[in-house]
Amino acid sequence: MDANIKFNTKNLDLFYGDFQALKAINMEIREKEVTAFIGPSGCGKSTFLRCLNRMNDLIDSVKINGEILFDGQDINGTIDVINLRTRVGMVFQKPNPFPMSIYENIAYGPKCQGMKDKNQLDTLVKESLVKAALWEEVKDRLNKSALGLSGGQQQRLCIARTIAMNPEVILMDEPTSALDPIATAKIEDLMSSLKKDYTIIIVTHSMQQAGRISDKTAFFLMGEVIEFNETPIIFTNPHDKRTEDYITGRFG
Amino acid sequence: MGRKAKDILVKGVIYLATGITLSVLLFIVGFIFVKGIGLVNWDFLTRDYNEKVVYAFIESNDVPLNIDKQSLNEKNPYDKRYETHLEGPIYVENIGAAIAKVSYKNHSTEREQFVITYIEKDSPLRSAIDSTGKEITIGTDYIVQSINGNDFAELTLAEVAATIADESGELKVKIVQPGGGIKSNIITTLYMVLLSLIVALPLGIFGAIYLTEYAKPGRLVNMIRFAAECLAGIPSIIFGLFGMAFFVVVLKFQISLISGSLTVAIILLPVIIRSTEEALKTVPMAFREGSLALGATKLQTIFKVVLPCAVPGIATAVLLSIGRVVGESAALLLTAGTVAQIPGTLFSPGSTLTVQAYYVAKEEGNIELACAIGIVIIVIVIVLNILSRITSDKLDVFNKK
Repeated sequence: MDANIKFNTKNLDLFYGDFQALKAINMEIREKEVTAFIGPSGCGKSTFLRCLNRMNDLIDSVKINGEILFDGQDINGTIDVINLRTRVGMVFQKPNPFPMSIYENIAYGPKCQGMKDKNQLDTLVKESLVKAALWEEVKDRLNKSALGLSGGQQQRLCIARTIAMNPEVILMDEPTSALDPIATAKIEDLMSSLKKDYTIIIVTHSMQQAGRISDKTAFFLMGEVIEFNETPIIFTNPHDKRTEDYITGRFG
Repeated sequence: MGRKAKDILVKGVIYLATGITLSVLLFIVGFIFVKGIGLVNWDFLTRDYNEKVVYAFIESNDVPLNIDKQSLNEKNPYDKRYETHLEGPIYVENIGAAIAKVSYKNHSTEREQFVITYIEKDSPLRSAIDSTGKEITIGTDYIVQSINGNDFAELTLAEVAATIADESGELKVKIVQPGGGIKSNIITTLYMVLLSLIVALPLGIFGAIYLTEYAKPGRLVNMIRFAAECLAGIPSIIFGLFGMAFFVVVLKFQISLISGSLTVAIILLPVIIRSTEEALKTVPMAFREGSLALGATKLQTIFKVVLPCAVPGIATAVLLSIGRVVGESAALLLTAGTVAQIPGTLFSPGSTLTVQAYYVAKEEGNIELACAIGIVIIVIVIVLNILSRITSDKLDVFNKK
């Protein structure tokens, strides 16, 4: 098996009750690359993303068939879900900082894992904020509520919070769709710099964004992966007619 | 009729309805205040309801009267609730105090008594001690019943004054502190609030957490919710009957503080469950997802993220509960009793303010006293309202920016 493959899904089907949202997904996602999922609304890309850290567990009617291998281990089988989520972090569409101080937001994850040492936490909070390019903006108000930050800052805080867990993979579910262009640009820069340390999987509605930041792109349609390839190929020379129609804006 | 005329008419009806509601409310509260305010004073709040008999030891010491006769006559025992003035006052030098004969009324019995109406500044009564040597305060509406064993019953005021004046040296005076206060009821009410919240709050909060966070939506949850709603609608006398049958009789707790507070706790449960549930439901799903995505367990998520967000809602639940306990009378009448005393243990009876108001109005026909208690209840409820609003604002995590 290729050691660089982080996620490997085999014939993954997902049902919401009777509705089949994902159909036989086979995908290999490589380490330390940015993989983008694009496709029209309701095509299953977010659903697939949420499979990767088992966030779909929260929805009662979901049923999954097939395998998702994470470093060769089936995540629906032997791996403990808490452990999985510390290794596969997630950033959501709408910034969702907890209503606590900036410091507590970052320290929350490590504290839940049992980290108590104040110095260790201080260092970790600083490191994470620096990595998320937020340190300079918030270093003087770490004890103020995170809800006082702007939307873009809140989203970077959520990324910092995820980084603090030192995950192997960061899942991002349309992380910039609620932000203005300047904040979006900052987050995109951030993603490029995080790429060398983390595997990033991002769902996006913006094809420009996918083109700018990703190494590989998957095009989803009606619960199926129509095409999965190097990003330049998808955008300049797609093999499938439907991919071409979508990226040239003929539908979707 | 034109549209405009209709508008004016409807508007008028709306204003009228509001006006009527408001004036009825003001009238009721105003009525209670006017009727009862004359009785509300410090003694009323700090005295026991029952009279207290003490033996006071004083050193006789001639103290001349420093005020003129006219102003002495004007100093009637100020507590006119129970007394009709009959004779006097006469100033007695060796105890430095004036005594009057009054018709004294308490617990619907009326007796002729001798009441202290004025105490001179240097009077030996000011340094009275009881049999254990502890200092006691004697006020200007206390009753004197005997001195050095000479009982005052059947005597005239002049004879009493002469009897007192005849004694010298150390005097042993039998004194009755008048009752009529509601200290014990205030304290019982506070006990009741505390105890019932200690029982009902954790149960209610954990119940609400189960319903919103753990239970899979379905028949069972709907049934629990329906049951809670039904419980909230059942009149409290039914709970009182249950409490009487179960806590008082089956568990042999007797008519007591514990029976009362457990019964009230049951009454509070639905209120607490409902409002906590509502508060938990308003916590955005995104917080739960964010927490779980960071590898927190469900329990950590609930206690560190969800519950703190729900605190203002829970504070509201606490406020509603306190209001409910303070206002509860039917259930407590049956389970905690009508004894106006501070409960010494969990298993002693005691009457709360509302029960006492019922008791004095119904059993003693003393509407004014009941209204005075009503004022105290209204004030307590208003103060609690303000306090809980302040605390819930302070605790609101979304307020801190």
